[in-house]
Amino acid sequence: MEMEFEENIMEADGLDVWYGKKQALFGVDIPIKKNRITALIGPSGCGKSTLIRTFNRMNDLVDGCRTEGTVMFNGKDVFAKGADVLELRKKVGMVFQRPNPFPMTIRHNIEYGPKVHGVTDKAKLGEIVEESLRKAALWDEVKDRLDTSALGLSGGQQQRLCIARALSVDPEVILMDEPTASLDPLATAKIEELATELKKSYTVVAVTHNMQQAARISDYTGFMYLGRLEEFGKTEDVFKSPKSELTERYVSGRFG
Amino acid sequence: MAGDDAAGEASVSRYLPFFGREREEGFDERRERPGAALLAAAAATAAILFFIIIFVALNGWRAVSEIGAVEFLTGFDWIPSEGAYGALSLITGTALVTGGAILFALPAGLGVAIYMNDVASPRVRNILKPACELLAGIPSVVFGFIGMMFLIPLMLDLFPDQLSYGSSWLAGSVVLGIMTLPTIISVSQDSLAAVPRSYREASMALGATKWHTTRNVLLKSAVSGIAAAAMLGVGRALGETMAVMMVTGNTALVPEPLWNVFSTVRTLTSNIALEMSEVSFGSLHFSALFFTALILMAMVVAVNIASKKIVKRTKAKMTGDLRSGRLSAMAAAAARPVAPYFGIVSEAAMALAAFGFAYMMLSLVAGAGASAAAAGALAALFLLRKRLSRMIGAGMTQKAVYASLWATVALVVAVLAAIVGIIVFKGLPALSPEFLFDAPLSSGRAGGIGPAIVGTLELMAGTAAIGVPLGVLCGIYLAKYAGDGRFAGTLRQAIDILNGTPAIIFGLFGMSVMVIWLGMGYTLIGGCVTLALMIMPTIVKTTEEAVRAVPADLTEASMALGASKKQTIDKVVVPAAMGGIITGMILGIGRSMGEAAPIMFTAAVAFKAVAGVSVMEPVMALPYHLYYLATEVPGSATMQYGTALVLLIIAGTLFAAASYARHRYGRFASG
Repeated sequence: MEMEFEENIMEADGLDVWYGKKQALFGVDIPIKKNRITALIGPSGCGKSTLIRTFNRMNDLVDGCRTEGTVMFNGKDVFAKGADVLELRKKVGMVFQRPNPFPMTIRHNIEYGPKVHGVTDKAKLGEIVEESLRKAALWDEVKDRLDTSALGLSGGQQQRLCIARALSVDPEVILMDEPTASLDPLATAKIEELATELKKSYTVVAVTHNMQQAARISDYTGFMYLGRLEEFGKTEDVFKSPKSELTERYVSGRFG
Repeated sequence: MAGDDAAGEASVSRYLPFFGREREEGFDERRERPGAALLAAAAATAAILFFIIIFVALNGWRAVSEIGAVEFLTGFDWIPSEGAYGALSLITGTALVTGGAILFALPAGLGVAIYMNDVASPRVRNILKPACELLAGIPSVVFGFIGMMFLIPLMLDLFPDQLSYGSSWLAGSVVLGIMTLPTIISVSQDSLAAVPRSYREASMALGATKWHTTRNVLLKSAVSGIAAAAMLGVGRALGETMAVMMVTGNTALVPEPLWNVFSTVRTLTSNIALEMSEVSFGSLHFSALFFTALILMAMVVAVNIASKKIVKRTKAKMTGDLRSGRLSAMAAAAARPVAPYFGIVSEAAMALAAFGFAYMMLSLVAGAGASAAAAGALAALFLLRKRLSRMIGAGMTQKAVYASLWATVALVVAVLAAIVGIIVFKGLPALSPEFLFDAPLSSGRAGGIGPAIVGTLELMAGTAAIGVPLGVLCGIYLAKYAGDGRFAGTLRQAIDILNGTPAIIFGLFGMSVMVIWLGMGYTLIGGCVTLALMIMPTIVKTTEEAVRAVPADLTEASMALGASKKQTIDKVVVPAAMGGIITGMILGIGRSMGEAAPIMFTAAVAFKAVAGVSVMEPVMALPYHLYYLATEVPGSATMQYGTALVLLIIAGTLFAAASYARHRYGRFASG
């Protein structure tokens, strides 16, 4: 019961989500441990992406999406009346399934976030660019071409650029929505390595289709099925001695 | 099991007759040639289109050789009766009216586009989009008519000291601006919607507001599309004839001072329409008109080519094919020494421009001191906008911006509703069986518009009968057989040129060839041919696009079953493209229905007691009738509104038919 002593940075409680009339999440309770990697696994359409998109309220952008229940972040409900969604998204960053750098230069991609939050000092922006790219293990590859288009980078580099962009506004949590789904194995390995490195200073929540990936990098794993969190626990326990039969069948590859 | 086999066989044999045609030995689709009908249609279309271009060019050339291009392009005096052919005042007139129109159509159109993209709920969007398309379908004469009836009196009230007649450059720009709005709205909305959703998500996930995202990511990514929208709007405005002619006063003079929006002007298009009927075939004046037509075509072509290039570049940029960084990086490197000041310099330049423009406009209506103060305040507001927005915060900025966008949308919708509402309200009392079926009495002040309705329907039918088969077959040929060879390339260019060519030039062409050269006089068939020529390029293009939009998998699926290319095109591709083809066709016919410029000197007469059926007789037509009543027959207001209402009803019916076709045939419909 070691997990009891680790601090929860986020926590969902009784979370229901509807898209129009279709319910996508059913009473999900999940803690997110600080400075750990939490993996969310489960078959397509099970609600993994919906769940992490409630953590930074990106679901607000979907027409007809309705949420009930609470998501606590640092002790405050992110859905509470008057909660600052812009501040929330600054603190809870996101990396998407497909690399989506802006069609701008590499430098402008990184500067974008800090500028949004009011940083105008050129020297300060320069520092942020270097620091973020270093943390995303991209600095050495791009330091000589910061003023070229980000779209000229390879897919893996683009995804690390997106991670750097997420880091540029100094978040506490980084949500990754199948960050390696569109990458080749080598680029995938780099992102996984990076995620492991990032947990020293950040909390990472990653949705993945790839069970080996979840087993390799995560500390905690949540298995979702048909909009419910079927099982949650230490990755080792979920994979080696799952409590639910459904989980057992899924992680052993017998369905999904 | 046996049953399964039988079922399998049955389903195969069902398709056998489909491919059952005898084929020669060693069939190879790479050598397959198009059918005779297709080839003939493409050849005929090509011949006609090239003939038009060459005819206009040759006729215009005489004027250049006799008058001299320099004299023509730099002379201010256009007085054909004295042999003075200086087109500069006309070119200036066209440029000023068009420029003025874009100046408010672009911000307003972009505002509506952003509102539709950012704020509007799907339901509101589903109302706004068709409303815009409906606005696009209102005939040009109707805009001119409303301009004469409402805008001009309103302007006389607003600016009694500046205006003597009400007809003015400003009135022309307002009317044209409203007419170009649909183009600008739909093209810029498309380019905003084409920005990948992931950009918006990435930006908002960083904690940016929706407006900040639109301003800094979407608009930057869509900037070329918006530029293209502006250019297409310019292209549309350049070629407009009837509406402009009805509200600008038509004096071939350069405004004094140049920015005096209250002065009257004459555009190149109006000039052709006004003088076309007076010239004798083969005279210098005749040739000079063709040269002004050439100038117009060159302007439109230049604008269209530029917008095409821009769109292409954007696509390359979006997909990363184009290292857009290279050029901008070079520019950045070159600008590095001044980079710290670049922002300040460009801000100052823009503020200065805003000040200058505001001062110029205000000084027309107010004293120098007051103008300078107001313009100065505007420039200061511009300079302080960022600080202001920071002061009130990102959320409030967004609220303020979206509120002003909402106001823009409300204004545009109100204008549309007013145009339609006024015509319906004032036109309904005129509608009666007599009005719809009888001939006009006392120059159109009484009686009905029966012959005009019949004439317009006859013109539509004839135009469709000539233009649609040729256009559709040529479009299929271009999409599927022509390839990218030199002939196809030239044909596509010819189509592009004629697609943007103003309606009045088709009128000029039709009149010279059929009315004068062939000595036919005004005839129904002359009008039909002229209108068919005008809409043919559009139909070719929409057909080609619709056919090309059919996914390659469908073609491949059919070919993989052993169907020939012709079978595949006939049975799979064309049916799949039907929605797009029919929509393009209906919109083309709708456009031809509302145009007065091409028929006013080829087919239309002001009065006819009964509608004839002979194609060699002249006809009455609704758009020309409305123009005639509005400009020549005082005291016929009720009849004018009634005619405008009938025009609107026909336009609305065609629009509804096009929407139905698009929904009915669904998936691959374009446009």
